[in-house]
Amino acid sequence: MSRAPGALAQFATLAITAAVLAFLVYPTAWVFVASLKTPDTMFSATRWSMTLENYTRLFAAGFGHNVMNSLVLCIGAVLLSTFVSVNAAYAFSRFRFRGRGTLFASVMLGQTFPWIILVTPVFILFARAGMLNNWGSMLFVYVAISIPFSVYLLVGYLRAVPRSLDEAAIMDGASYFQVVWRIVFPIMFPGIVATATYAFLLCWSEYLFSVALLTQEEMKTMPLALYIYFGENVTDWGNVMAGSALTTLPTLLLFLPLQRYMVSGLAAGSVKQ
Amino acid sequence: MHANAKGFVAFALVPAFFFLGAFYVYPFVFNLDISATDLDIFQLRDGGRWIGLENYVELLTSPGFRRVMFNTVIWLTVVGVTVRIVLGLALAFLLDSRTIRAWRLSTLTRILLIIPWATPPVVAIVVWRWILDPRVGAANQLLMWLGLIDQPIPFLADANWVWPSIIVIITWNTLPLVTLTFMASLQSLPGELVEAAEIDGASRMQLLRYIYLPHLKPAIIVMAMMSTFWTFNNFIYVWLTTGAGPGTFTNVMATEIYIKGFIDGRLGYSAAAGVVMAMIMTAFGMIYLRYVAARALVEEEDR
Repeated sequence: MSRAPGALAQFATLAITAAVLAFLVYPTAWVFVASLKTPDTMFSATRWSMTLENYTRLFAAGFGHNVMNSLVLCIGAVLLSTFVSVNAAYAFSRFRFRGRGTLFASVMLGQTFPWIILVTPVFILFARAGMLNNWGSMLFVYVAISIPFSVYLLVGYLRAVPRSLDEAAIMDGASYFQVVWRIVFPIMFPGIVATATYAFLLCWSEYLFSVALLTQEEMKTMPLALYIYFGENVTDWGNVMAGSALTTLPTLLLFLPLQRYMVSGLAAGSVKQ
Repeated sequence: MHANAKGFVAFALVPAFFFLGAFYVYPFVFNLDISATDLDIFQLRDGGRWIGLENYVELLTSPGFRRVMFNTVIWLTVVGVTVRIVLGLALAFLLDSRTIRAWRLSTLTRILLIIPWATPPVVAIVVWRWILDPRVGAANQLLMWLGLIDQPIPFLADANWVWPSIIVIITWNTLPLVTLTFMASLQSLPGELVEAAEIDGASRMQLLRYIYLPHLKPAIIVMAMMSTFWTFNNFIYVWLTTGAGPGTFTNVMATEIYIKGFIDGRLGYSAAAGVVMAMIMTAFGMIYLRYVAARALVEEEDR
C-alpha cells in the first residue's frame, strides 16, 4: 500500500464515519428502544424503565391479526412469483427465440412502471368485479409487481450457472422443467433466496395498493394497520413504536444475512428502492 | 429450436406475461378510457359520462398545477435525486477508504449501512415524524440543547422546513442502496491503476477526476435514472409524512392522483392526471430503454 493516511487523517475518517453511521442507525435503533420503554420515560435519553406492556397492548388491540395477514399474503406472493420468475428467467437466459429482445425489454420496462398510475384503473376493475377486500386480488398485485425485478435478477444469476450442466441433463433425457427445478434450482439457490427476499420485502412494506384495495379492518396488512394506528394514537408513541419494531424485525433479519449477495444483485438498478 | 424447447419457452413465459399484461398493459389502456369520463367513486357501476378532454383541460389549467409540477420535478426529483447521488458517492468513498479497510471495519460498516434500507418506508416515516415533532422529537431537543434554537421548529408544518424535512427522510431511507451500488463499482476498480497513478504523482483531485469518476460513471448514470423513476412516482413519502400539506404546499403528482381519485372520488380526473404523468415518464423511459435496458441486453447477447 502506498501513501498510507497519517494518524490525523485516519482519526478524521473514523470520526466522520462514526457520525454518519450514528445518524443512519439511530432512527431504527430508537424504534426498538422506545418500544420497550414505559410512557413516562419514553422521551428521556437518561431515564430508562423497560416494559413489554407496549407489545401486550398492541396485540390486545388486534395487531396480531394484521401481522398474520401480511405474513400469509407475502409468503404466498413470494412462492408464486418466484416459481413464475425462475421459469421465465431460464427461458430468457438459455433460449434464442423470436421476440426475445422485445419481451425482455418489456419486463425491464415493468420495473420502472409507475404504480401510482395503475392504482386507479386496477381499483376500478377490481371494484366492478366485486374483488375489493379479496386475498386473490392482493396476491395477483403482489406477484405482478415482483415479477419484473425477479426475472431481471434471476437472469443475472443464471449467467453464473454453466450451461454444460443443463446440456448434460438434457442428453440424459431430462425435460427442461426437470432441468430447471432439479439441476439449476439447487445450484442457484442463494440467488433465488436473495430474489425471493427482495420480493418479500417489497410486499411486506407495500402501502399504495393495500390502502386502495383493502378497506375492511380485519383484512388490513401490517403497514396499513400501523399507519392507521399511528394516526389514531399520535400521543401513544409506545404502542406505535412496538408496531414499528414488529414491522421492521423481519426485514432486518432477512437483510443482514443477505448483505453479501445484495451487492451482486445491485448492478443496473435491479432493486426497487 | 427443438419442439420440446419451444414448448418449454411457451410454458415458462405465458404465466409471467399473463401477470404483466393483466396488471400493467390492460389497466393502463383502460385508464385512457376512464380519463375521458367523469367516473365517480360512488357511482362506479354506472360507467361515467364521456366528457372528452375536459379532465385534461381542467388539470393543466388548474391554479394548483404549476405548484404540483414544481414540487414533483424540482423538489422531489431534482433535489431529492441529486442529494442522494452526491451523498451516496461521498459515503461510498468514505466506507471504501484505506482507513476503514486498515481498521478492518468494512463488514461492520456495511451491516450498519444497510439498516435504514431494511427499515420499511412506513416505519421510517413514523419514526422520522417523531424525530421531527416539535414537542417530543429528538431533533428539536438536540438543537435546543446545543443552543442553536430557542423555540422548537415545527419541521413538517413550517413552509421553510417541510421540503428539506421530506428530502431528509427519503435520503435516509434510500441512501444505503445508492451507496452500496457505488461501493460495488469502486471495488471493481483495479487497484494497480490507482497505485500506478499515485507513483506518477497524481494528486487526490486528479485521481478523482481521471480515475474514480470515469470508472463510476456508468453506475452513476444508472442510479440517477432509476432514482428519478422511483422518486418521481413515489407516493408514500409525501403522503404519509405531510398528507401533501400544510394545505397543499407539498402536493406532488402522485398525491394529486391519490387525493383526486380516492379522497374526492373523482376517478376520471385521477385517471387523466395519471396519463399526463405517464407521458412525462415515457419521454424519460425512451432514454432509459435506449441506454440502460438495451445495454443489459447486449451484455446478455455477448455471453
